[in-house]
Amino acid sequence: MMEDTSQDELMGLLGAIARQDRQAFQRLYEKVAGRMFGLCQKLAGQQELAEEALQDAFVRIWHHASEYHSDRGSPMSWMMTIARYRTLDLMRARKVRQTAGDEALNHVEDERAGPLDASMQMDGSAALTGCLDELSSVQRDSILLSYYRGFTHEELSMALSTPIGTVKSWIRRGLLVLKRCLER
Amino acid sequence: MKKTPERIESLAAEYVLGSLKGRARLRFERWMMESYRVRQEVWFWEEKLSGLAAVVPEEQPPARVWPAIQQRLWPEEMPRASVSQLSERRTGPRWLWPSWGLLATAAALVMAVLLVQQPEPERFPMLSGAIVQQDVADPLWLVSEAGDDNRLRLRPVAASAAESDKDYELWVVPEEGQPLSLGVIPVGDSVLQIELSDAVRAALDKSRTLAISLEPVGGSPTGAPTGPILHVTKLYEL
Repeated sequence: MMEDTSQDELMGLLGAIARQDRQAFQRLYEKVAGRMFGLCQKLAGQQELAEEALQDAFVRIWHHASEYHSDRGSPMSWMMTIARYRTLDLMRARKVRQTAGDEALNHVEDERAGPLDASMQMDGSAALTGCLDELSSVQRDSILLSYYRGFTHEELSMALSTPIGTVKSWIRRGLLVLKRCLER
Repeated sequence: MKKTPERIESLAAEYVLGSLKGRARLRFERWMMESYRVRQEVWFWEEKLSGLAAVVPEEQPPARVWPAIQQRLWPEEMPRASVSQLSERRTGPRWLWPSWGLLATAAALVMAVLLVQQPEPERFPMLSGAIVQQDVADPLWLVSEAGDDNRLRLRPVAASAAESDKDYELWVVPEEGQPLSLGVIPVGDSVLQIELSDAVRAALDKSRTLAISLEPVGGSPTGAPTGPILHVTKLYEL
C-alpha cells in the first residue's frame, strides 16, 4: 500500500478522479489525507478548523482534478498547496490569531519527515532545506513562521518585537535569496 | 502598478507564502488570470515551498471527515446522521457509501499502525528569537537553539559594546523565582554557544523568556541581576 505510492500513482488517481471515479477519490483520500491533515493542523493549531479545511481541500480536489497538470508541480505538492490555502483562508476568515509562545498552540516537538517512502516526499525538499541555510536566521524564521503557522506581517512583527517594515523586508529579501539558491 | 519581472517574482513568492493580503492579494490574483508567466512564477513557489510541508508529521484525520466530504459532494446519496435514523428501514444503494466510509476508517487505522516505524529525520531549531531595541532596525542579538543537545546559540548583530566598566549578562527568567544566569555575553563577531543545565533548560522551556542586564565587568557578583534590565525577549517555537 503506502510503500508503493509514488507521484505516478497519485497522478493516475487524479486522472481517474477527473473522470469522476469515486473509488479513485477514496483511494487518494486514504493515501494523502494524513499528510494534508498534518499540515492543516500545524497551521491552524486547532482541530475543528483543520478538519474543515481538509474537507474543503478534498471537495476542491474532486472538482478541480482535471485542472491539475505537471507544470503545477508534483501531484502531492499541488494537493498540499490546496490544503494550505484552504486552511489560511479559514484562519483569516475566522480571524484566528496566531500568537507565538501561546500555550494553546500545537506543540511541535519535532519536525520528523512524514512517514512516507522517498518517492512520495515532495521533490526538492532536500534542496530547499539546503537553501534555507543560506538565509539569515531572521529571514529564515520569518519565512518558516509564515509558512508553518500562517503568521501575518502584523503577527510576525509582534512575535519578533520588530517593526513591521523590518519584518516585511526580512521576508522579501529572504525569499529572493531562496529563489537565487533554488535556481542554481 | 507595473508588472516588472522583479515585482512578479517577489509578489508571487509572498502570495504563495500567504503574507500578501487584502487588496494587494486581489490585484495579484488578477495578474495571475491575465498572465501565464505570472502563474508559472506562482507554481514555481508552490512546488518549492511545499518541500517544507514534507517534514510536517503526518496525522490521520478523525473518521468523521471522510463521510463529511461525501456528504458535501453527494448529499442525496449520503444522508446526514439525523436523517439516517429515520431512513433506517431503507436498504439498497443508499447504504453503499456509508459503508465505504467505514472501510476507509479501517484502512486509515491500518496505515497509522504500519507507518509508525520510520526513521527519524533531522530537526529544525526549536526555539528562536531576537533581542531587539526600539528604533533599531536590526536585532541586537539573535538567539536560537543549537540542535537538540541543550545548547543555545547567541549571535550579536547590532549590539554595541557596554560602557567601559560594564558587561551584558544573559538570564533565563523562569515563570517563578529568581532569574538564572547564562553568563556574560559578547557584542563582537563571535557566536556564543551556551550549554544549558537540565534545570535551566526546563525553566526556559516553560517560560521561554530571556533577559539581559547591565552588570559590572565579569558579571553580577551576587548571582542575581544587580544592574538595570535592558531587554526582555520571549522565544518562539518553530
